[in-house]
Amino acid sequence: MDLFLQQLVNGLALGGVYCLAAVGLSLVFGVLRIPNLAHGALYMRGAYGTYYAMTALGVPYVAPIGIAAVVLAAVGVGMERLIFHPLRNSPHTHHMIAAIGAMFFFQSLIQAIWGADFRQMPSPISGTLSLAGAQISWQRIVIIVAAVAILALLAVFMKRSVHGQSIEAIEQDRTGASLVGINPDRVSMLTLGLAAALAAVAAGLVAPLNLLSPTMGAALDMKVFAIIILGGLGSLPGAIVGGFVLGIAEAMASTYISTGVSEAIAFVLLVGVLAIRPTGLFSPAVSR
Amino acid sequence: MSQRSMPRSFKALIPLSVLALTLSACGGGAGGGDGDGGTITIGYSGPLSGGAAIYGENALTGIEMAVDTLNEQGVEVDGEKYTVEVESLDDQYLPNNAATNAQRLVEQDDATVVFIPHSGGILAAQQLNEGRTPFIIGAYSSDPAILESGNKLSNMIPPNFNGYGPPFVEQTMGKFGKRLGMLGTESEYGQNWAKLVSEEWEKQGGEVLTDNGVDYSTVTDYASTVSKTLSENPDVIFVGGPSQPTALVIQEAREQGFKGGFIVMDQAKFEEMELFTDPKNLVGSVGVRPARDGDDPGVPEFHKRYAEEITDEKPATSEVAYHFQTTAIYVKAMEIAGTVDDPEAIEEALPEALEQVDDTFKVSEYPTTVNDKVHFISENLEAVFYEGKDKYTLFPVPAPEE
Repeated sequence: MDLFLQQLVNGLALGGVYCLAAVGLSLVFGVLRIPNLAHGALYMRGAYGTYYAMTALGVPYVAPIGIAAVVLAAVGVGMERLIFHPLRNSPHTHHMIAAIGAMFFFQSLIQAIWGADFRQMPSPISGTLSLAGAQISWQRIVIIVAAVAILALLAVFMKRSVHGQSIEAIEQDRTGASLVGINPDRVSMLTLGLAAALAAVAAGLVAPLNLLSPTMGAALDMKVFAIIILGGLGSLPGAIVGGFVLGIAEAMASTYISTGVSEAIAFVLLVGVLAIRPTGLFSPAVSR
Repeated sequence: MSQRSMPRSFKALIPLSVLALTLSACGGGAGGGDGDGGTITIGYSGPLSGGAAIYGENALTGIEMAVDTLNEQGVEVDGEKYTVEVESLDDQYLPNNAATNAQRLVEQDDATVVFIPHSGGILAAQQLNEGRTPFIIGAYSSDPAILESGNKLSNMIPPNFNGYGPPFVEQTMGKFGKRLGMLGTESEYGQNWAKLVSEEWEKQGGEVLTDNGVDYSTVTDYASTVSKTLSENPDVIFVGGPSQPTALVIQEAREQGFKGGFIVMDQAKFEEMELFTDPKNLVGSVGVRPARDGDDPGVPEFHKRYAEEITDEKPATSEVAYHFQTTAIYVKAMEIAGTVDDPEAIEEALPEALEQVDDTFKVSEYPTTVNDKVHFISENLEAVFYEGKDKYTLFPVPAPEE
């Protein structure tokens, strides 16, 4: 029982990180209709941004994540302007090639600045909580609480604010939204900025548990793509449910089946869901 | 398929390359005539980008440091002065790229010795190096698979990891108990190590639990695999991969309450792990001896230089030290053989070179002989039982049969 509890918390923490990363990717797909293959690289830059703010600028934890999120939002907007906007009328393969190019560029840039060494972010939150025989580190509790809070804020933003509603309007019908006066360019910039900021927050939260390296985004890329296809491309609730399902499934599979299966579980789930519901668990309001 | 068609297209290229070589030889000869002396090119193919970049950079740093020192001291082969240079190419850890790079370094840059720091790349290059243009492979991998081909121009540099099995198991089983948890990395190298340790563990009468190995480089959080391993109540856990993730795996196990010992694969180094986790988490581990604590005469000066010239943020690991040392051995062998481009002659001069290398270069388990598998053998190899920062108990690691 204590092993189950331990793994549930581990799975929820992992799921929280997956969610924050996947939600952004899903939004970008909904609005721009492109799979942003550089999303993992944005996550990686977010981790380095947090690391830099914390070690070089010396600001205490939480603030560095905020700083990294703001910087990454700017990077996201820049990506939209410099890469995806000029390609808006070209075939979809061009976006993918450009995104892969951006990914390699970001990796090389970070390697040029910080080197290829692994880096570790000093964890400001240490210690573990003993709960019914399970040893749960405070950092994981922080991840779970922060992820849930941010996702709740995001939901409010999407449903209540004009900007959030305009994102949703563009997702549903780009032409129709333009007709009622929504500027699709501005929404595209907003979406990529928001997605990059969320990826930065995910990275900043998990960074003290893991190591920073220029290639850290690659492992995440595969998982988040599986999540958004699992949840339904472009669907926000799908990305949230998918993220937590995958995090918990990985933790449980490694406990009750084997660690090898845990690495493959994302894709087993993906095949299973697609066989039964080809549009994913939650298909977006309007599918085209 | 492309490999099979390659020799044919190469044949067609021979006249061209002969022409090119003749032309370039003319150029080189003219340079020599000006009294500049010749050039010895040391080739290097290793991962310089991607996930293993830091490992590849470390190895290259060792060669570069040796080259600088050798040029300061002066190199003379057959009465002529030579300048040593290093040419490096990135292979991203891929065997095929390493083989192509080695070919390029030999054909275009006239390298006679090419260092490759990974077993896959070494095995691929061993298909080429005894062929039309022979060259020596400085094979930096402790995987005994690279000895199996019986290649006479491929020198294994570090100790064969088979030697670590019996003493590592003996040390930990005696101190902690008979149940072994498995938590190594899932690279090919990691799996070979896991096999070695689990077989030896059973041979000495212990029980091996479920294998929970995961690929250290693709896992976002190690907590769940660690929890799984600990749920079977191991006395000792086998861990290892690159030092930094290994340190986190050990830390996670300690945080979840593990009190036993660790068998640490040779890829992970205590001096690097200390920077990533509190040294007290490492107490009770067996592993390879930190490079900076070796007995060889050049050790203190080498580490001082590394801190001053390269970086003082991290210690020089054995990759740096071995490449530094071995580069000097090869250049000394060229001096003794009186040739810079005859691999067989250089290879034959190695035993004598081992005796004559300057003490400055003896920095990492300096070899005493080259055995009949052309592997550099260090007779007094020792490993450590970790008891705290700079506190170890040393124990001998006998060389295994090859």
